[in-house]
Amino acid sequence: MANFLVSRLLYAAVVLLGVSIAVFFLIRIGGDPSALFLPPEASIEDIQRFRHLMGFDRPLIVQYWDFLSRALGGDFGMSLRYEQPAMQLVLERVPATLQLGGAAFVLSIVLAVPLAILAAANRGSAIDRASLLISLIGQSFPAFWLAIMLILLFSETWHVLPPSGRGGWQNLVMPAIVLATYSTAIITRLLRSSMIEVLQSDYVRTARGKGVRESRIVLSHALRNAAIPTLTVIGLQVGALLGGAVITEEVFAYPGIGRLAIQAIANRDFTVVQAFVLFMAAVIVVINLLVDLSYGLLDPRLRKGK
Amino acid sequence: MRDILRRNFVTGALGVATMALLPLGAVAQNASTIVIAQAADAYSMDPAKHSAFPTANVLFQIYDGLVSQDEKGNIAPALATSWSNPDPLTWRFKLREGVKFHNGEAFNAAAVKHTFDRALDPNFKAPYYSRISQIKAVNVVDDYTIDIKTEKPFPTMLLSLYEASFPALIVPPGYTAQNNGADLAAKPVGTGPYRFVEWKKDERVVLEANPDYWGGKPAINKVIFRPIKETRTRIAELKSDGVDIAVDIPPEDISSLEGGDTKIVSVPSEFLYFLAFDTTRDTPLKDKRVRQAINYAVDVDAIQKALLNGMGTRIALTLPSNAFGYDPTWKAYPYDPAKAKALLAEAGYPNGFTIPLMTRKGRYMKDSEIVEATAGFLSKVGIKANIQYLEPGVWGQVSEKKGREGITFPGWSGRDPNLVWAPLLHTGEYQSYYSNPELDKLLDAGAATIDQAERKGIYEKAAAIIKEEATHLPMIQPPLIYGLDKKLSWTPRPDGMIDLRKAHF
Repeated sequence: MANFLVSRLLYAAVVLLGVSIAVFFLIRIGGDPSALFLPPEASIEDIQRFRHLMGFDRPLIVQYWDFLSRALGGDFGMSLRYEQPAMQLVLERVPATLQLGGAAFVLSIVLAVPLAILAAANRGSAIDRASLLISLIGQSFPAFWLAIMLILLFSETWHVLPPSGRGGWQNLVMPAIVLATYSTAIITRLLRSSMIEVLQSDYVRTARGKGVRESRIVLSHALRNAAIPTLTVIGLQVGALLGGAVITEEVFAYPGIGRLAIQAIANRDFTVVQAFVLFMAAVIVVINLLVDLSYGLLDPRLRKGK
Repeated sequence: MRDILRRNFVTGALGVATMALLPLGAVAQNASTIVIAQAADAYSMDPAKHSAFPTANVLFQIYDGLVSQDEKGNIAPALATSWSNPDPLTWRFKLREGVKFHNGEAFNAAAVKHTFDRALDPNFKAPYYSRISQIKAVNVVDDYTIDIKTEKPFPTMLLSLYEASFPALIVPPGYTAQNNGADLAAKPVGTGPYRFVEWKKDERVVLEANPDYWGGKPAINKVIFRPIKETRTRIAELKSDGVDIAVDIPPEDISSLEGGDTKIVSVPSEFLYFLAFDTTRDTPLKDKRVRQAINYAVDVDAIQKALLNGMGTRIALTLPSNAFGYDPTWKAYPYDPAKAKALLAEAGYPNGFTIPLMTRKGRYMKDSEIVEATAGFLSKVGIKANIQYLEPGVWGQVSEKKGREGITFPGWSGRDPNLVWAPLLHTGEYQSYYSNPELDKLLDAGAATIDQAERKGIYEKAAAIIKEEATHLPMIQPPLIYGLDKKLSWTPRPDGMIDLRKAHF
């Protein structure tokens, strides 16, 4: 187990280093923010003066080394626009995004798991066909479009939900629905098909032969075994929820990390983009680690490491 | 000097008259709160540390400049009550007495000097440094008199000191020194009509009326700025009564917001839509007749009607119609495709030619639609414009290398020929792709002349050259369109700054 953890942590460090290189150089391909930051009438001398003051005129590799050595010490640099530590700007907005992502996550589990179980247990029935339709629709609706439609209906037409902002639970309803749509669809589809597979396996037939009640077979024997592939996908969905929050937060003017990231990219606020991407990468690495560890809890066969 | 004093008297009298009328509106709706939805949140509460209009709109309620702009767009007194030019290199300002910052600090000449010294320090890295960089020194004459010195005569000084010149908003010296300015950047203190209450990042900025404001307590008690990037969401908030002012309403949404509980107000912006021609490279655009042909070939009125609901102002030359020296009798080239074809043939291009048309997409209202319509008109006279959409960062890189080839749609603003024609048409300027020694001489003279009548004469001559040379295809000052709560009385400004000093329900 200790070996497993050490190797995973090393792997995480390599991943984060790779991500840091990729984000650092990719965002700089389109040029530095000097011209965007200064007024339109700024002369070429003004731009060059500012660029020099900010150190953007140094060789990229020098700038990267500067960034990396500071980042290892926990200093991710100052935001150009906000004049505040970049990582602090990201972390300040994490609670809002976690709240939204958490609501969407719970919503998609609450919807998807019972739906998938019912669908798998009653294969070919109306509810099964409904589950297929729901997952098809959920996967094909663009979040942006869905968000606008919800706003049109619930805010502009019926005046029951506020279209934007953060505050009460009312502010969470529409963004959580939009964010949960895709993951609900994926989880439903996957859990349904792995349940169906398990329900056809030998040990389920044996259990049925022994006269075990069908509800116990479905909920205990089948669900537990079908959960392993699903769990992997749920882990991936957490990343997708955070990523999906970028569009959702923008449309609903929700003050989370996604909106910060979009603005930072538009403004070429390098330090904030770097802090955001590294933070997201770290979260996803940790979630993957947790998912790997949780397999052991579900399946004793996986507990003995190599 | 006497002229300035007289105007001040008139403005003052107007101010008193408006103030006498205001309480009526204020009584109608007590405990009033106004919510404004802009596309972005404030970046900093330090006026010298940002470069974004949404931030400036928040800060303009908290701070004042030495001068401001009245409803007609004329420069008007604010923290300075009058000004004069003892010599061409000196601007002397008399300051308003008895004004206090929100924290009780006194406003005086030392505060003005501190404000400019701070922002002019190169290490301070003020993004809008170039707006005030002509200022060589700020000298305290007495407690309420200040001299601003320039290296060269600087006729557009007042435009560098009003609120759209961000670092010119006056900050309190004592408070600014605390924590190296971090306190000011987080919890601002100014002399303005509203005091800072709270800033929840990306969520809201809350301000409350300053009962001691030198211009009179504002009618609305509480101001909330909310950042809502998505246009549809801003409109939904307006329709569901969540906000009272929503900025940047697209022309196609106007009809749905007129009537009911909402209304539309609009004003032609100071912004300029025009086509610029690269005459530095060897292309057909070098020939004056080709540039004139392009002016004849595009039906700008039709574009304005179809894409901007006919809103905005058609311009005859690349200069906002409220700019110094703009002459309303100037005429644009009329739409005359036959004449365009004739000119092209005369220039040796009877079958037209192919040329790149560089622009950005989604930067300005309806920019790509207007560019595409323009290319359509050009193709009718045989000019094939290859539209290239550049990402803003790439546009910046291309511009720095002087690489804007062919026709471009750059956008510009500025309320004086010296802020528009000099950077866009003077030989060798960063943004200029044109050269004409005769015009250069006039532009240099205009930049160095303080006397208004003399300047006007100079720019009249420059305008004649610009028209004849067809250096641009001047198009439109696009409109600024706001959606408002029906009960709100508020006037938008051509420069896009939101001023709530006189707003009331």
